[in-house]
Amino acid sequence: MSAYTAGLLAEIGIGGIAALGVYVILATGQLSLGNAAFMAIGAYAAGWLTVTHDVGLTAAVLAGALLSGIVGVLVGFPALRLRGIYLAMATLGFGEMTRSFFLFFEPLGGAAGFSGMRQLQVSTIWIWLGIVLGVLVLLARSRLWLTLRAVNDDEVAANLIGLHATALKVGAFGMGAAISGISGALFAHWHLFIEPGNFGFERSTELVMAVILGGSTVAAGPVLGAGLLVLLPETLRFVADWRLAAFGALLILVLLVRRQGLLDRNLLRALTFRRRGAEARPEAAEVS
Amino acid sequence: MLLSRRSLTLLAAAGVLPVARAQAQAGRLAGREIRIGAIVPSSGPFAEWGRANAATLRMVEEQVNGAGGVEGAKLKLFIYDDAARPAQAANLVRKLADDDKVLAIAGPLTSSACEVAFPVANQAKLPAISQASSKPGTAAANRPWAFRNTIDEAVLMRSALPFLKTTYKVAKAAVIYDAKDANSVSLGTRIMPEMLAEHGIALANAGNLASFNTGDIDVSAQVTALKGLNPDAVVCAADYSQAVTVIREMRRQGFVKPVIGGTPLISSAILRAAPDMPIISTATYYAGQEGEAAKRFTDAVTPVLRRTAGLPNTIEPSMYDAHMYEIVGIYLDAVRKAGITLADADLEADRGRIRGHLEHLTSYNGLSGPIHFNPDGDAVKTYFVVVGQNGRWTEKLRGCSTAGNLTC
Repeated sequence: MSAYTAGLLAEIGIGGIAALGVYVILATGQLSLGNAAFMAIGAYAAGWLTVTHDVGLTAAVLAGALLSGIVGVLVGFPALRLRGIYLAMATLGFGEMTRSFFLFFEPLGGAAGFSGMRQLQVSTIWIWLGIVLGVLVLLARSRLWLTLRAVNDDEVAANLIGLHATALKVGAFGMGAAISGISGALFAHWHLFIEPGNFGFERSTELVMAVILGGSTVAAGPVLGAGLLVLLPETLRFVADWRLAAFGALLILVLLVRRQGLLDRNLLRALTFRRRGAEARPEAAEVS
Repeated sequence: MLLSRRSLTLLAAAGVLPVARAQAQAGRLAGREIRIGAIVPSSGPFAEWGRANAATLRMVEEQVNGAGGVEGAKLKLFIYDDAARPAQAANLVRKLADDDKVLAIAGPLTSSACEVAFPVANQAKLPAISQASSKPGTAAANRPWAFRNTIDEAVLMRSALPFLKTTYKVAKAAVIYDAKDANSVSLGTRIMPEMLAEHGIALANAGNLASFNTGDIDVSAQVTALKGLNPDAVVCAADYSQAVTVIREMRRQGFVKPVIGGTPLISSAILRAAPDMPIISTATYYAGQEGEAAKRFTDAVTPVLRRTAGLPNTIEPSMYDAHMYEIVGIYLDAVRKAGITLADADLEADRGRIRGHLEHLTSYNGLSGPIHFNPDGDAVKTYFVVVGQNGRWTEKLRGCSTAGNLTC
């Protein structure tokens, strides 16, 4: 494997984990445009621990995720009063606030950035991706996930049947933040240099785009989306200056043809040769 | 972007590129290829700089090969767009090192991209020279393979500030900076306040520096506040595309004072924004620079840039185009003098030889005189303090970023 391929794989792994953070939050019907901020918290916390306190990588990644998760819960509470576009705006504000904080927080380098980390292997990134993806796939089969989806489908009805929608929404926010924190911690130890500009609004929207493009109903979707967001601009190099325009056009095309994202349950079943999609078929029959 | 045969002959005759002279030498490297990589931001926020860089590089490639190459070897440039994104720049270094098997790299342009791309160049043991990064310490943190054909902003300001102080009788200055751009933040909040104090210029808005964000189109409130302080000069820490907004607003409010900023201020757009306002900046090249080599470069590259699709037809070559031109020249100088074989089996050794050549670079003449690299990997070369007024840049002072016994 060439170093270039390895670099792309690392980007996909890091982006995939971060996109999974957005996916968990989106599962409860909340749209976060501030997940890059959770990446920043994970990145700076883990980087600071390994550089100045000589903490091991795994412990630092977990600590970064924990801190990010706590901040996520704190942000999740006030966000409860907000829905839809208003929540999106609030998380966007939080993202910008966090970026500005790191820009002026001199102990962590401020505008000059933070460095000194030791580089990890691409395989480490993918092991973390595997763990996060595994947990989410297991979670998707659990009762907890059903309750999360219930909150997404109809919050009032979910409350009426005795589900604690508040706890579920805040919990999802915290979990999504923690997952993005893991991604940030790995980012810091792959690129060896972090600065606030790495975690701006652009990255947050990229993460949401990965989920929408790849598919927001199955955990593999966001990872596929993140992969495409890394690989498409690279493979479109032959169109030179029109590269990003071509990339945008492809995105619109995909969304027109497959609104649910590239991967959904039916496609995933077809791809894995599982025939348990019986419940999907009557639906299709009804439509036809 | 084809150069006419006549202009090629002229360039060759005038010895624009030392390679033209090499044509006469025996083809020690006949049939081989000099593979050099370049990372430029042809899309994204610095697209104009990136596209102009790419056009300059293609012109150099054409000139060199049109003149018969270097000792018989053809120059082949691999030019990639990193969209000014650090992660893409880092991956492109890997691609250039492993897939394209280049000897060395020119780029990346931004300091943010250099911060992540230089460690990769170090791992790959591949020489890289940035054409624009001037954030203090970026190459120094990534020795021994990282170099920059630029001078640290702090070094340049030590010449520009005394000039500002005496010429415009400045006792008090106010700072405004782009709070979204990391380089502008470090220049505006750290480097400049320290430098002003060092030169005995009072900071009018100490503790309450004015700021705006990249892309802001209305800075009237900030400029009104600055005007209220009645400073003798304004420090604008931002790249030219953002500084234009500040300068236009200052002029609209009748607040005509000298404006000083870092190297990213140099551009023709700044001159057009407020022709009557003196803009003090530092540069290692500017369009209109005197001197034979600089003039030849300007005359050759300006029509090429103006013909290039995606660039304004009034564009003038930037300092970064000149740096790119010099970087390729430095690499070709190494090919000629450092015993490079260009054989596939010698790739690693060749890269090492180029690095060694850069470390002890003594024989290369750039557009404004000799270029060396100091132990931090930054260029020791001539620089100018220039004032932009009435539509043109005028040289006011000349300095050298001397280091130890290395001098211009």
